[in-house]
Amino acid sequence: MTRVVEIPSSFDDQSFDLFARNFGEPGDERLLFDAHAANWATPYGLIGILIAGQVLRNAGAEKPLFTIPTDRRVSGYWSRLGFFDFAEEFFELHGTVPKVRAKQKQDVLLEITPIREVDDVHEVVRKIQERAVAILTHELKLDSTSTMGFAMALSEACQNIVEHSGTSGWVSVQSYNWKQRLGRKIVLIAVSDSGMGFRESLETSLARHHGDRWGDGLALEAALMQAVSRFRDPGRGQGLQGIRRYLSRWDGKMSVRSGTSRLTISPDWDSDSARLDNLAKFPGSQIQMIIPEQLETSEEGKKGE
Amino acid sequence: MKLIDLKGILNRTLSPRYADLVTRSTGRVVRSRVEEELEKIDPTQLAVIDFGQVNCLDFSCADEIVAKLLLSHGTVRYFLLRGVSSAHMEAIHTVLERHGLATVAENRTGEVQLLGPINEIARQAFGMVMKKGSAREQDVLDSLDYSPDSVREALDELCSRHLIFLAAASYQPLTSI
Repeated sequence: MTRVVEIPSSFDDQSFDLFARNFGEPGDERLLFDAHAANWATPYGLIGILIAGQVLRNAGAEKPLFTIPTDRRVSGYWSRLGFFDFAEEFFELHGTVPKVRAKQKQDVLLEITPIREVDDVHEVVRKIQERAVAILTHELKLDSTSTMGFAMALSEACQNIVEHSGTSGWVSVQSYNWKQRLGRKIVLIAVSDSGMGFRESLETSLARHHGDRWGDGLALEAALMQAVSRFRDPGRGQGLQGIRRYLSRWDGKMSVRSGTSRLTISPDWDSDSARLDNLAKFPGSQIQMIIPEQLETSEEGKKGE
Repeated sequence: MKLIDLKGILNRTLSPRYADLVTRSTGRVVRSRVEEELEKIDPTQLAVIDFGQVNCLDFSCADEIVAKLLLSHGTVRYFLLRGVSSAHMEAIHTVLERHGLATVAENRTGEVQLLGPINEIARQAFGMVMKKGSAREQDVLDSLDYSPDSVREALDELCSRHLIFLAAASYQPLTSI
């Protein structure tokens, strides 16, 4: 028997919970990931699909089916992001995968890139410094020193996969013009893995202390707000704090989903809920960071600080 | 003085393609090579840790290299961080705060400054010693508007944390070692 997992037509962090619900907790049935009607997906959504595929493969499930978006512009964009390079490993693809020439990939800051080991983190940091300088300084109007901070934030997010997840994951960076939603350009970073998640990672150090209240939400708060790490070394736990500081300086947004909870640190321009619990369970952890184009007034404010 | 080039170590031990000090495991490997270099020199010699050719430094690497070096050797050796960019400073300052450590750093224009949590009197005393190049206790007492005891305490703290040193009854900056 085949069960259909519908891919939201507009698939981003806001519709991720719908996807997680559709995915559910797979049993013996074969799954069909239906993306034929999809008309939009961010790297966060696309990496989420890969995570689901990876989980199924690791569980020994029958290779799920996947219908490619029929809209060529959509499937072309997914191709440019490198989605199908990895999707074919986990899914039986149905439909046409558009071929992409190297030149067409130039609009992608960092295509979907696997993070399996330390070397991958070095490579991501190297690539992003080469590619992101112009976008960050000219389009987002961040100052020239921000590029290093950006690379640093990316490095910390990616190495969380290597250090804590116990498995591999993916990262992707893309810029968008959020004309309608924000009236500004943004850069979006998505980093996800299918690993143990924050709750399990912190379980031995915190679960007993919190008793019945212990769960994904508290684990996320401990890691993000209190820099708690599963390691006793007091130097641990600074990575996510560093990302938070970097994003706060540039009016950025950060959200981390793990298990059944999502924690969001929102700037003034965003009204997302700070913490959501009882979401549909999804493996691993999913981090999204958004840095918006800087407004003249906030730049002047920063200079005056 | 012993110059320890972090980019050189990174390229020799991990990959000639790397220019970034990122990830904790990279930091661990680099620190252990730095410690091997330190073993070759006398503790009274200044170890200059050169960040000049390093692009990105993340918090994990800053913690593994700078904080752990200072935790293990900071009270017996003298360290100066050289070629530190403003982005490096931020990562280093963050990890030093976390551990309550301090160090001396020279930025890419050659300006020397204290990084880490240090009280204002000690910071001013350090600035005075740096400015004069060599200062007797009385010089520092005369130039700072604090009680003699608090200034002496600050000078003692700077010396015990190896941020300046005392030679021939004068306080000296590390750059004069």
